[in-house]
Amino acid sequence: MKRRSFLYIALGAVFGAGILAGCSGGGSSESGGGTGTTATGDSIKIGLVASLNGDQRPWGVDSERGVRLLVDQINEAGGVNGKKIELLVGDSNSDPQIGKSATEKLISDGAVVVLGEVASGITAQMAIACTEKGIPLVAIGATRDDISDKGPDIFRVCYRDSFQGPVMAKFAFEELGLKRVALMTDKKIPYSTGLSNSFRDYYAMLGGEIVDEQFYEGGASTQFNAQLTNLKGKNPDGVFLSGYFTEVGPIVRQASQVGLTNVKFMGGDGWDSKEIINSGGEAIVGGYFCNHYSDQEDRPEVKAFLDAFVAKYNERPGTTMGALAYDAAAVAVEAIKAVTGDVSSKSVAGALHNLENYKGVSGDITFKGQGGNPPKRALVVELQADGTQKPVKAYAPTDVK
Amino acid sequence: MDLGTAFAAGLQLDFANLPQQLVNGILLGSIYALIALGYTMVYGVLRLINFAHGEVFMLGAYMALFVSWWLGYSPTATTLGQSSWVNLLMMLVASMVVCAIIGMLIELFAYRPMRSQPRIASLITAIGVSLMLQYAGALFLPNSPPQPIREEINPYRNEVLQIPLKPRDTTFIEKIKVEEAEFNAAEAAVKARMETEGVKSEFDLSPEGRLLRETRNDERNDVTNMKSEYERSGVSLLIPYGQLIMFVTALALMLILRHIVMNTKPGRAMRAVSLDFDSASLMGVNVNRIVTLTFAIGSALAGAGAMMSATFLGLSLTTFFGVQPGVKAFVAAVLGGIGNIPGAVLGGLLMGVAETLVVWSGYGDYKDAIAFVILIAVLLFRPGGLLGSSKVEKV
Amino acid sequence: MKYWPTRVVSILAGLGACFLISAAADASGNDYTKRLVVLAGVWVILSVSLNLINGITGQFSIGHAAFWQVGAYSAGIISVQHYANSGITGLPWLLLMMVAGAIFAALAGLVVGLPSLRLRGDYLAIVTLGFGEIIRIIVQNQKPLGEAYGMNVSPKFQFTWLVWLTAFAAIAICRNLLKSAHGLPFLAVREDEVAASAMGVNVTRVKVTAFLIGSALAGVAGALFAHYEGFISPQQFRMEQSFIILTMVVLGGTGSITGSVLAAVALFYLPEKLRDMGPVTGGQLLAGTFATVLAVYLVKRVIDHFHGTKKEAAIRHLGIVLGCMALSFVLSIVLNQVPVLASARYEAEKLRMVIFSGVLIILMLVRPQGLLGHAEFSWEWLKRVLGQRRSEAAQTS
Repeated sequence: MKRRSFLYIALGAVFGAGILAGCSGGGSSESGGGTGTTATGDSIKIGLVASLNGDQRPWGVDSERGVRLLVDQINEAGGVNGKKIELLVGDSNSDPQIGKSATEKLISDGAVVVLGEVASGITAQMAIACTEKGIPLVAIGATRDDISDKGPDIFRVCYRDSFQGPVMAKFAFEELGLKRVALMTDKKIPYSTGLSNSFRDYYAMLGGEIVDEQFYEGGASTQFNAQLTNLKGKNPDGVFLSGYFTEVGPIVRQASQVGLTNVKFMGGDGWDSKEIINSGGEAIVGGYFCNHYSDQEDRPEVKAFLDAFVAKYNERPGTTMGALAYDAAAVAVEAIKAVTGDVSSKSVAGALHNLENYKGVSGDITFKGQGGNPPKRALVVELQADGTQKPVKAYAPTDVK
Repeated sequence: MDLGTAFAAGLQLDFANLPQQLVNGILLGSIYALIALGYTMVYGVLRLINFAHGEVFMLGAYMALFVSWWLGYSPTATTLGQSSWVNLLMMLVASMVVCAIIGMLIELFAYRPMRSQPRIASLITAIGVSLMLQYAGALFLPNSPPQPIREEINPYRNEVLQIPLKPRDTTFIEKIKVEEAEFNAAEAAVKARMETEGVKSEFDLSPEGRLLRETRNDERNDVTNMKSEYERSGVSLLIPYGQLIMFVTALALMLILRHIVMNTKPGRAMRAVSLDFDSASLMGVNVNRIVTLTFAIGSALAGAGAMMSATFLGLSLTTFFGVQPGVKAFVAAVLGGIGNIPGAVLGGLLMGVAETLVVWSGYGDYKDAIAFVILIAVLLFRPGGLLGSSKVEKV
Repeated sequence: MKYWPTRVVSILAGLGACFLISAAADASGNDYTKRLVVLAGVWVILSVSLNLINGITGQFSIGHAAFWQVGAYSAGIISVQHYANSGITGLPWLLLMMVAGAIFAALAGLVVGLPSLRLRGDYLAIVTLGFGEIIRIIVQNQKPLGEAYGMNVSPKFQFTWLVWLTAFAAIAICRNLLKSAHGLPFLAVREDEVAASAMGVNVTRVKVTAFLIGSALAGVAGALFAHYEGFISPQQFRMEQSFIILTMVVLGGTGSITGSVLAAVALFYLPEKLRDMGPVTGGQLLAGTFATVLAVYLVKRVIDHFHGTKKEAAIRHLGIVLGCMALSFVLSIVLNQVPVLASARYEAEKLRMVIFSGVLIILMLVRPQGLLGHAEFSWEWLKRVLGQRRSEAAQTS
């Protein structure tokens, strides 16, 4: 009897304490505008969120390699103002929810600036987390237009969907003289649907005709005969494949088998990989796509990057994200270098906003007065039989409007 | 306008493509059927959904990739010899053998200790094994960037079987020749212009040169249009040799399987175990050996499907490569009546044709949902699947 | 114990726990911790609600993420389109959205529940899986829902206590159902459908009710999740998530609500906790794997073949585990002498999902009935444990 009443009292106390604490805690919507982090000690922490597991892994691994390469280079050269850069990596498991958790963890571990992600969906979530804490975010491959609306300090080193699609549309219509183009879109990847949409709109505005659009799901499809047979029936001059190279290769290879020959294949930077030539085979030689840089360019940044990458990892970057991640880390470090006084999230964000004409691997990057979206040039390249990318035409941001 | 054409106009159906699409569907379905057989056999014997089957498929594809590298078709190789069917056969056998071994190992280490436990526990183990193979595989197997098997290993890559159903209009041949001559002239003009201007690429031409290039482009489009019109004047079925080989091999393997199950002693034992596990063991059937054999055969079939998909279709391999084919094949197995071997084949073919027809009708964005819609519809009317029995379990 | 006092104490303890969790999360001052606490609450709701369908009623559903998704998207789209002109703000609106999410998810549950009347076992499983995929693909093709990219949900509400209060409510609903006369038919259906129907149980009603309640709770979780995250995308509700919810239920012990709660929290935290692990060399990885496999094999042998007292068995388990840990340590030093193994490094972020799946397999092999089996937390159990302690203490003194 005595024991039971003791139990009641104890539980009552727990309840009372809980209510009191709960009332004071309460819930708040939109905390907004955090104070950020200040680097202390003899190292400056930068965070990277990448998909090291899950179906985005090839891009995640590549972006991790790119960032790590730059951080190691900086540290070997003595760091920034005598302080070492410490890289914290968080895995997003290809999932926006877990990506956000990883971001929160990096921030709570003291990251001054966060880099990543490749996929726009995950980046959107990271942008929300970073904005709430007042941490600047440098996105690597998120091309979706509305990412930068999430907060004042959201930067990216890639171009946007609303630029890449029109560039290819313009190239197809004016340079290749294609009047009838069909689209093939990966419905599962926001990148692909966004790119297809911007291509479609601009191409129609130029006066071209979109004859058909076929869909598939990345990872779920093995045979594309059905879509290709449909396309063939519509008699296009060219086909715009907005997905990743993992599906583009098989599609083009199978297209030649169902007799869809004599058409030009085009795509976006999702094509960039040393493996596309192996999966696409002979049929993809002569395909055009929009890229950030080409390994055939003679800019010193490209050469230096590729040499350093091969020296460290014994192979060339698997996707275009290697170079973009390297650039993202580079602009972050550049901004940290530019800071006078305490290295804090606020000062780094300020420095990023003032960054001008940084010579990146993927082209010149300027954030000053651009609200985080650097006006970048796009390079249309042609795939050669030996797998190299021959630069064909460069487009400045002002070329498509 | 009769109802049929009105309907066709509304949906924009292209009936000239229909025969080709049906063939496409059967080609697609044959691979589903091959993987589905593994699910259905394991289910028949153990009443277990082998969730790791898709990962066995993935490992089979990787095995084919490694053999192709060993044969000299590595991603970095520049000079490649003429391939032959022997190479393909070696890859096929290697994939099948390795998959069979992996299947047996999974059964031995993950499922056998669970056999006396509730089935749901084995199911979770299966999910665990499946996740393990995906994530641990990603640590050790080449997957970033995803690796394809080079097409040069397939000696039949440029050959296509053509079955004419309706002859083409031969008057187009002359017209095409005329167009091609015009195109060649325009092309020569562009080349000459590039010489005179001294530019390497046609994209660097001066405005006058660009006009020439535009004419050339228009001529090229005309040639393409004419050629495609010529092709569309007749109806013929196109079957790439690679996919034909896939279909024939799949068919042959299924017939061999049927022979094993129906006419051999282990096959009879397999059927006995599937009918009643405990009684079979009382009748002197070595149940463990039969279960191992079932896993080996089912996994070998998945290996064959994996090798052929990876080789002939040019797919890029990641360790998540097996998930979706696995799920599709699982649906096919249930559609046909899980545990029923002809059912798996029927289910696979039906799903292949259904998916293709959905794409044909212009709703390609719903292609991956149709399998499940059909499944639910069929199960509502035949709860045991198309060929399965739907007995209510007795008390 | 008397009925009413126990009741009141239970409710008070539950409520107190909710607010204590919330207060502790706030007090930590760390947004990462806070976020994990909230998401853990969401997973608890999901796993408890699936436990009702799967563990208590025995209907094999492996597409639970679909109901979660329906709840999240329906609440999300209503919020986006009608919040501004509704005139309702703050908590009442979120409560309204939770109801909306529950209603839509329950409708979805009805759609799936109806075929379940004719299907059993694995056929039902595949239908639920298929339903999940259909929902995902439909969402992926809708412009207003943001297609594959996802949808921004505004306003955002971040009430930690509400999530856990809902979790508590879900637990209470299931617990009361199970302990009252209304719950007996559910258990009867799980044990034997034919026999239950012969005893006069309305099997149809039981199954549909289970699906309705289970999916409605998942829908509430979806509404909370959507408004907490402020962004939802089809990627978050993929098939794998359904498997993880199912795993939580089975791992906790099929049918045990306590088990579902504990397993949900544990499985949610495990991959996050693994982020803190340092990098591992090839030698350590190999040694660790070998020692783990050996330990599992030996523990399994003890479980299957040893017939001593509980204490003796526990000592053996402890010995095996410690021995294997020592072995792993020694082996890793030896293996690290091999240059290839010593130079290969695996970062924790790449290993964490491998370890997660490994833990799943090991737990199922060693304890197939789940962590708690059918056992439940109850005051009687607590009293017994406390009582034992006390009597032991009395004996020794």
